[in-house]
Amino acid sequence: MRRYEQIFILRPSLGEDEINQVIENSQQIIVNEAGTIISTDKWGMKKLAYPIKKELQGYYVFSDFAATPAAIAEVERKFRIDDSVLKYLSVKLADAITAEEIKTAQDEAEARAQSLQAESEDSDTETDEPVPVKKKDTEKSAVSDDSDDSDDSVGNNESEESEDTDKA
Amino acid sequence: MAPRPQKKLFSRRKVCRFCADKELSIDYKDPKVLRNFVSERGKIIPRRIVGTCASHQRQLCSAIKKARQIALLPYSGNVQGQ
Repeated sequence: MRRYEQIFILRPSLGEDEINQVIENSQQIIVNEAGTIISTDKWGMKKLAYPIKKELQGYYVFSDFAATPAAIAEVERKFRIDDSVLKYLSVKLADAITAEEIKTAQDEAEARAQSLQAESEDSDTETDEPVPVKKKDTEKSAVSDDSDDSDDSVGNNESEESEDTDKA
Repeated sequence: MAPRPQKKLFSRRKVCRFCADKELSIDYKDPKVLRNFVSERGKIIPRRIVGTCASHQRQLCSAIKKARQIALLPYSGNVQGQ
């Protein structure tokens, strides 16, 4: 049994039921192959960094589970067939996971989910979040001295030269 | 105890941000952190400019590439600045 985490992006036009259906189907395959689900997290609608299958937005679902390589292959095969899945990414976290480790990981995930829920209840402005973050990032990169010039090739050459002269 | 000879460092020497701040972890699921290490066009900024240490730069590289695969970061950013 190996530990994996998987992110998949669903079409934004899907309804709540269809989203749940896709998640359930993939989890069913894992469970059938003697795997265990540790956690699933719906990140919700996000703007994609680049268009995928002509969609600019996507519904992100993240899941963490212990499964066999065969189960992963089957899930990915289903994703490739399913038209509602835009893209998926599976990452192996550990080569082996024992039943005990699964249990502790499950407990941790539950605790994290509960704390997150408490936070989101305090401030329900989830949709506004990405916008201020982006602004902050661009400001930061603008401040950090020579890391980003709009003309990158020229900028890099310049900085390289200046460093060389400094050393000399 | 003989005092260890201190290496002379340049005054402008940049330190690795991940070594300085242990709380900051490299995770491909966290585009907020990774954004600081790519140029406006989405290119990975080289080590000699951002000053991350070798091992962290390697981790960073693979994290950025994973983030690109799942559309959290762009392969190529906006062409004309913002």
